Amino acid sequence: MALNRKKLIDLFIGNISNAILHRILEKAVEDDVIRKYYDKEFLNSFDIAKKYREKINPVDGKPQESSEIKDRIIKKASNELKIRISKGYKNIDLRLAEPTADKFLSELKVIE
Amino acid sequence: MVILTGKISKGTLMDQIYIPKERPLGFELGTPVVIKPVVEEEEIKPVYYNIDKLESVKVMVIQKIFSELNFADNIIITGSFLEKGFQFNDIDVILIGDKKIDSNKIETHLSKLFGLEFHIILLDYNALLKGLETDPLYQAMLSRYVAKKRLIFRFKNKINYKLLDLHLLKSKILMENFDYLTGNKKYDMTRNLIAIYLFLNNKKINNEAIDFNIKNLLKEESMNIKQNLVDKTIFLKEYKNLYKKLFEIILKGIKNGP
Repeated sequence: MALNRKKLIDLFIGNISNAILHRILEKAVEDDVIRKYYDKEFLNSFDIAKKYREKINPVDGKPQESSEIKDRIIKKASNELKIRISKGYKNIDLRLAEPTADKFLSELKVIE
Repeated sequence: MVILTGKISKGTLMDQIYIPKERPLGFELGTPVVIKPVVEEEEIKPVYYNIDKLESVKVMVIQKIFSELNFADNIIITGSFLEKGFQFNDIDVILIGDKKIDSNKIETHLSKLFGLEFHIILLDYNALLKGLETDPLYQAMLSRYVAKKRLIFRFKNKINYKLLDLHLLKSKILMENFDYLTGNKKYDMTRNLIAIYLFLNNKKINNEAIDFNIKNLLKEESMNIKQNLVDKTIFLKEYKNLYKKLFEIILKGIKNGP
């Protein structure tokens, strides 16, 4: 199915937010053996996001919407984390949303 | 190549091996030869768990995998490779052992050797047991397998709600990417969702139970999901409802948990 730019960006944001969420929630799991083992599981969302990213031009450089994309990703991941915190989930570090987003977005050449 | 066998017999100054006067080409007088002891290769008899029948070509592949990966304490073959026919995506191999090995290198080596895709998971027994206690998909995966050595598991479900929250995230992708996922990806995510449902209800997790509950809870045949022939409206409605219910149970569990 052909996708327009807006839809591609929406899908990219959804999946990369999920990967960020996964990364932050992993850190909240209080079990070293399990945490180590699940360390790679976030890759599922990340890989899907990467595929969408490869279709958003410019592929090798910062897209014109990069700052909007970053803001939406941080907002989306933070909202998911806040839902959990409001239901009593402890040990979630909301401050990790931005640096984690920066790391992933830089890796995928969405920001410099 | 023709191979001759013989026995070493005692001589006066030197011992010798007698071979027949009439022998195949390549064994003329003066031809240099190699002699080496005939040691019977250790025969590996795979352990089949919940598998009635497996195509003989798959058995041969498994034997070859076992001999290639003989450094591991145990080897478990699981996943769609063990299902009838040849519709599998890749071969799931769990390697049990304490040695630090690069799983990517093994995947590449086996892929080159067989021309098939491999997914290697490296674990020690402790991690495998933890996985079985806390991970619904591990229970699903090990409800059917072929192993190099017999496996004895004694475990009870340990519900770790924070981990289940992580597992459930895998199934979230389907709702947002429905139109762009392959049938097999959709099935994997659905299977994960149902495995979590069964785990939370302390029910046995195996392929049959998962497929039965996909039909029962999501009103869809597993085969249709795999073939990407799903009635999107009905399926997504049921899927979202179940996802929401499970998410609520998990968050409640996290709140009340340790």
